[in-house]
Amino acid sequence: MKLPEMIKAGALAACAMFALTTQSNAANIPAAPMPEASEEFVEAGRGIYIERCSFCHGLLGDGNGPAANYLDPRPRDFTLGTFKFRTTHSGELPTDNDLFRTVSRGLPGTAMQAFDDTLIKNGLSEEERWQVISYIKTFAYEFEDPDLDPVANGLVISLPDNPAPYTPETIARGADVFERAKCWSCHGMLGRGDGNAEFREDDWGFPIRIRNVTHPWKIKAGGEVEDIYMRFTSGISGTPMPSFVKSLDEADRWDLANYIKSLQHDLTSHQTLKAALVDGDLPENPADAMWDGAAPMDVRLTGQVIAAPRWQNPSIEMVTVQALFNKTDIAFRLTWDDPFKDVIHDEGQEFDPVELMQVGGFNSYVEANDMIPRALETFRDAIALQFAVKPPNGTAKPHFFRGSTSDQVHLLVWMADQVEAGARGTTEGNARGWKQAIKPQAEEGQNVTGGASWDQGRWSVVMKRPLVTEDKADVQFAPGIFIPMSLNAWDGSNGEHGRIMSLSSWYFVFLEAPTPSKVYIYTVLAFLVLGALGLWLTRKTINAKENEEAEA
Amino acid sequence: MRKIGTFPIVVIVLVAVYSLTKWGIPAFSREVTTLPFPLPVPGTLMLFYMTLTVIALFLMVTFSEEGMQDFLRPIKKLLRGGYGQIARGVVLLAIPLIGAWQMYDLTVPRAQVPASLRIQHPSSNFPVSFEALENPFEHRSDADVDAFIEQAKSGEIVFIEQVQEDIEYWVDEWDPDHVLEFFANDKIDAFLAQLEADEVDHEVARAALHQVDLFEGRALYAMNCRACHGDSVAGDGPMADGFKLRPIDFTDNGTVETIVVGYTFWRVTNGGPGLPTEATPWDSAMPEWKLSLTEEQRWKIILAEYNLAQKTPRIPEGHE
Repeated sequence: MKLPEMIKAGALAACAMFALTTQSNAANIPAAPMPEASEEFVEAGRGIYIERCSFCHGLLGDGNGPAANYLDPRPRDFTLGTFKFRTTHSGELPTDNDLFRTVSRGLPGTAMQAFDDTLIKNGLSEEERWQVISYIKTFAYEFEDPDLDPVANGLVISLPDNPAPYTPETIARGADVFERAKCWSCHGMLGRGDGNAEFREDDWGFPIRIRNVTHPWKIKAGGEVEDIYMRFTSGISGTPMPSFVKSLDEADRWDLANYIKSLQHDLTSHQTLKAALVDGDLPENPADAMWDGAAPMDVRLTGQVIAAPRWQNPSIEMVTVQALFNKTDIAFRLTWDDPFKDVIHDEGQEFDPVELMQVGGFNSYVEANDMIPRALETFRDAIALQFAVKPPNGTAKPHFFRGSTSDQVHLLVWMADQVEAGARGTTEGNARGWKQAIKPQAEEGQNVTGGASWDQGRWSVVMKRPLVTEDKADVQFAPGIFIPMSLNAWDGSNGEHGRIMSLSSWYFVFLEAPTPSKVYIYTVLAFLVLGALGLWLTRKTINAKENEEAEA
Repeated sequence: MRKIGTFPIVVIVLVAVYSLTKWGIPAFSREVTTLPFPLPVPGTLMLFYMTLTVIALFLMVTFSEEGMQDFLRPIKKLLRGGYGQIARGVVLLAIPLIGAWQMYDLTVPRAQVPASLRIQHPSSNFPVSFEALENPFEHRSDADVDAFIEQAKSGEIVFIEQVQEDIEYWVDEWDPDHVLEFFANDKIDAFLAQLEADEVDHEVARAALHQVDLFEGRALYAMNCRACHGDSVAGDGPMADGFKLRPIDFTDNGTVETIVVGYTFWRVTNGGPGLPTEATPWDSAMPEWKLSLTEEQRWKIILAEYNLAQKTPRIPEGHE
């Protein structure tokens, strides 16, 4: 019989599939150390550098390429010999392997991307990466000084021999270290980067953000425990992040790394927000316990790069949305991290994009630091929920960036300064494309109530509205349909206002409809019919047997 | 070996065919397509396979009276209690329960998330006038090459303003014999050697000018497109994760390689809003670059984009 062979083949195939899915990560450790940097080797590196690196890092390696002004953090200035991400002690040069790691896997959350050709099709081979590194090292004279060589001088940090496992106990010990080492004084009690009441600056005078360690996609030099351990062992040169090698022992640092790892947020992956039906009044207070029972959906946002003025340094990259509804109303709660509470808006400092709107101008992006103030007490924090007005027809929707002239969108815009001024926090408005500003609806059309709070680096905003309104320009909520929903968000102290903002593509909100009673009737009927059939067959079979026996 | 009865064979075959279509084919599809996800067998196709299997089994069982009796024997034995009261009870309860569950599954309203499919190269509204367009920087005119040679001879090359400043800094720092020395490129070196010997070959100059165009195109790409499409044109820029329809990966076969360059120009020019409705323009983050970039800038970017992706556009029909 062939069957067992087939099963065996199937099992083998299944094993092969499993092996395919558990491929290891691409190597960011070189197969061989950096080759001798001959003149030809460095010149080959220069060729790669001009083609792949110079537009950000500059022909002189000074971090001043044509794209540099638009980026935050700015591209590294190689001429200073100061490198953030190392496995060497504070203030020392990086090792060759450190540079190799950064070039190979890039720095997530920045414009520096992975160049490993096993990750991307037209990346750089290991040899090419070594060539370009050998050229980058020529920019800083420090690399030529044998006294500064971290490897020869024993300044390389090694990982602990017996690191503590990632367990609830080591994480709890790490939480104590977090408290004791005062990590919270910059990073905030909950790690959201809200410990400082004002901006910090790096050694070059640019404002920097204290890392929100709960967002793993922004952890530049890797989010694994050993990467995190290395950051507070080596320090981050040029920034206020010190080395804790003298104040904390190896075991403490490893526990702390376990704790930081445990703070990382797990993104939800669904695209549809399920609003749950509840009895009684909907909570307007964002701290109401009812919200704990509403299923969250994480919405990813990105810089508004679709139309000038373009912005590629967004601060709000994730907003968590929840929704509840009852017979008459629907309420949304939006939650996002923002280290500073910005409740002032100075229209006089708003950016005039007229130059960036020209065809063939120098660039249509907003510069990271010089064009707009990125400071406290300048612009307000704000968020907008956007809906398609017309119920979706097939897949047709308005464009996710504010609709179009033929297909308008409805926006619920919450502004922190309005709340502070005692006005209505959320204003309803409409838009027909991004070219015009959002047009607020007339006073009698304003139906949104709610509440807001900012606590420990996190905004929570509730917007509540009747399910159905008289207004034709409003979205109407009904159970059982998928309503397109997206977000716009502004972080005032990041200079964001107008089209300088972050936004999401379309997601959906879905109000769960109660199951019709006929479903239960059919289900019970199916059970009864099949049950009766079984009993009848049993009866018949037994009778037939008895008849046979009687005849016999 | 004891003969296997008809009933167990029927059960084994049904389970095997179901498992193969439900899990086996999708698992095998990953091997064939090398995609990171399996391709499931559509429901109607599964129904088709299962129906065929049932018909085949029915024919087998009812082919002879003995076969039929052999098939029914274990069922009759079960119903008579030949395998014990408990076994009979379990089966008599399980079958109605499974049936009820299937009925519930079938009738309960299930909301389907509206699909947003990506259509590769939608062209229902692609204007014919773009079909035969050529990239003016792919093959520079003789007049352009002559002008470039003159500029190079005087040492006053006119670069686009976006790269001008960085090149000036480099010249100030290194004080080279010729401004083009900032390149580390064979074609530029060959041209510079000829320039020094005052024996400039037109084609060598053309090749050098092409390198200048590529350099400028790459700079414009880095400033305008990199945020979404990425340093390496792999559709993985720092802004890419926020868009449901991810930016196109140009290194992927079947993207920029399979279209004429006029189509690429049309897409860059009109962006998402220029797409036909079947291509869900409302989900596309591609900007209308005609609002920000000149035609010249767009063509230079496209030149650099193909070069970075190591691809060549499809040649328009009738233009081979």
